[in-house]
Amino acid sequence: MSERFAILNARLVDPASGRDEAGGLIVEHGVITELGQAVKGSRLVDDGFDGEMIDARGAILAPALIDLRAAIEPAWTPGGETLDSLVAAASAGGIGTLVLAPNDAMALDTPETLRAFKSEFRPRPIRLHLAGGATRDLAGETMAEIGLMTEVGALYVSQGDNAIADTRVLRNLLSYASGFETFVALRPCDATLGAGAIATESEWAARLGLAAEPSITERLAIDRAAALAELTGGKLIIDRVSTDEGCTALARARRRGLEIGATAAIAHLTLNDVDAADLSASKRITPPLRGEEDRLALVEAIRSGLIDAIVSDHRPLPDATQDQPFGDAAPGSIGVESLLGALLGLVHDSQLDLIEALRPVTSGPADLLGLKQGRLEAGAPADMAIIDGDAPWVFHAADSHSNRRNAIFEGRRFQGQVLKLFVNGAMVFTSDN
Amino acid sequence: MTRAEFNYDFPHQRLVSITDLNPLDVDILFERAEHWLSVCRTPSKKADALRGLTQINLFFEPSTRTQASFAIAGKRLGADVVNFSAASSSTSKGETLLDTVRTLSAMNPDLLVVRHKACGAAKFISDATGIAVVNAGDGMNEHPTQALLDAFTLTQRLGPLGGRRILIVGDILHSRVARSGVQLLNILGAQVRLCAPSTLLPLDADRWGADVFHDLDDALEGCDAVMALRLQRERMAAGYIPSSREYFRFYGLTHQRMETAHPEALVLHPGPMNRGVEIDGALADDEERSLILDQVEAGVAMRMAVLEAIGTLARSNEARR
Repeated sequence: MSERFAILNARLVDPASGRDEAGGLIVEHGVITELGQAVKGSRLVDDGFDGEMIDARGAILAPALIDLRAAIEPAWTPGGETLDSLVAAASAGGIGTLVLAPNDAMALDTPETLRAFKSEFRPRPIRLHLAGGATRDLAGETMAEIGLMTEVGALYVSQGDNAIADTRVLRNLLSYASGFETFVALRPCDATLGAGAIATESEWAARLGLAAEPSITERLAIDRAAALAELTGGKLIIDRVSTDEGCTALARARRRGLEIGATAAIAHLTLNDVDAADLSASKRITPPLRGEEDRLALVEAIRSGLIDAIVSDHRPLPDATQDQPFGDAAPGSIGVESLLGALLGLVHDSQLDLIEALRPVTSGPADLLGLKQGRLEAGAPADMAIIDGDAPWVFHAADSHSNRRNAIFEGRRFQGQVLKLFVNGAMVFTSDN
Repeated sequence: MTRAEFNYDFPHQRLVSITDLNPLDVDILFERAEHWLSVCRTPSKKADALRGLTQINLFFEPSTRTQASFAIAGKRLGADVVNFSAASSSTSKGETLLDTVRTLSAMNPDLLVVRHKACGAAKFISDATGIAVVNAGDGMNEHPTQALLDAFTLTQRLGPLGGRRILIVGDILHSRVARSGVQLLNILGAQVRLCAPSTLLPLDADRWGADVFHDLDDALEGCDAVMALRLQRERMAAGYIPSSREYFRFYGLTHQRMETAHPEALVLHPGPMNRGVEIDGALADDEERSLILDQVEAGVAMRMAVLEAIGTLARSNEARR
């Protein structure tokens, strides 16, 4: 890509500013220098513009997506997701910034581990970040070296899918991390009430005999964490709100003026427990799929801005963990390549407008964590996606760039595909080839 | 007005808390400590201010330096000093604290130097027995003679501490040294700063008359002196901090870190030190900057001053009876 180029005849969609208009955009040395209706080919020709001009042909030009939660498998896992396959899948999905977050398989809980990972990031075409493990082995007992991990570059620290049973540990964790201005991401779950749950308590779960947790588990966890955040001045991210009860508790905490961020996973916004009624292993995720009223509450929470970020919660898993009955399958689904398609489904179904849908994958997470990208404005890094918002396609994991096949959206019909992705002014993906 | 301009004698029959003291009391103790410091540096250190008095060092918590310091101080003043330590005490055989101190008080001691893990123990024993008590540390509450000797050591080098910027860094939450120290430095008009990870700072520390910091480099800026507190290993086990290396990285005192402080800034540590945890060994050993051994020497002199003031009063009260 040349040092200077323009994208013309686009529909500029920028959630940060609310901009949704026809126009163009100029990039110089990796930075957006001008954008708007006035950026037209004829004017650029008159001005003697010497850079490449890309005709978007009316397609959407939006900030590249930011995904705060994806997992990778440990190195040398046979057939496992590698950085290469993950980055290929993410960039095909329009993701320009991807955060690798800890989970049980990869606790990411020491500065040495983070530093080793980071050393492999540099040649990659998209922006990769790490979230550190908040406690050793994510066991919720001993605080990890949050200061050193923050210094090495952890974007936030996370407890993965695990609860912290000991309230004093949670208090110390929030208090300690606040000294480094580091966000602590906690899944709103309870160590005992949700133990062993693979579904949400409901008529459906009861009939099928699934071990289930009540949806107030989220309320309890959010109330507890928020009270401790208030006490300690801790910076908290509620990592994957998935219920109506959770949204209500979150709204209550926000009304108290607390600095609490929140994410939701795309699966919980687009699927409900009825989708899991076939008891296929691919529908097993953490948190479990919820009821339709919960899904609707989440969509409303996106619309109202209660939730800052939508995450793919990409979690590649070995086939052997998926060739299992529902109850025994490992929870999780790949997701970076299907995030945008599923999100645009909410737009085509008129549940969200385009700006509302894109905000939690662009300026929402960027503003939460203080990232410069995630917006179309002069001076911002040129992280952008050209998107055909209507192109129909069917998601098949076998066609995905990801090395794994455990996909909750397998066979799902989507409308909307990435045509080109730019990161820092460089084109890192194009659907042409 | 100075003390010389009107008649004022040290009025306290016990030293349980720094809050008992006013600036004049501190002046008196500093003056006497200075006197005893010079006496202690001569070959004939012995005085007879407390001759005939019995001092019991009642240490329910293990201690080497503080107990030795009080014992030497008492002996140099001519008192008969008896050490009573927890390991051999009858409380370890199930006796209550109250019974133990009543038993000891029946032996008519004149001074009790008390260390106990329970907050309020020194006051409790003093109230229960009516004997003159010097608090040598009660739980996380107070350690007044440590505060006095620290401030005295600094005064010896810096002159009056009014307006001086003094930082205490480390485990403020569990520190009786910090609690007494902040109060005393406030009495002396110093500008007090506290620095620790949030987990090791009480929530209301900013209301103690001190400025609170989480970043050591910010906290050190322009400081005349900095005191590192001991980080006990059990704090890591209890989850207040993740590791000693992380603690040292962010809160350990080093020569490099000290560059943001005043060029001649001094370093103190109440001991015992963890080299490479709260302080770098090279800094602790730097004779230009480190007052750590001066503190120990001043400790004996300051405890002589305290025991003398309180013992003299105890003697005159007894004579009056």
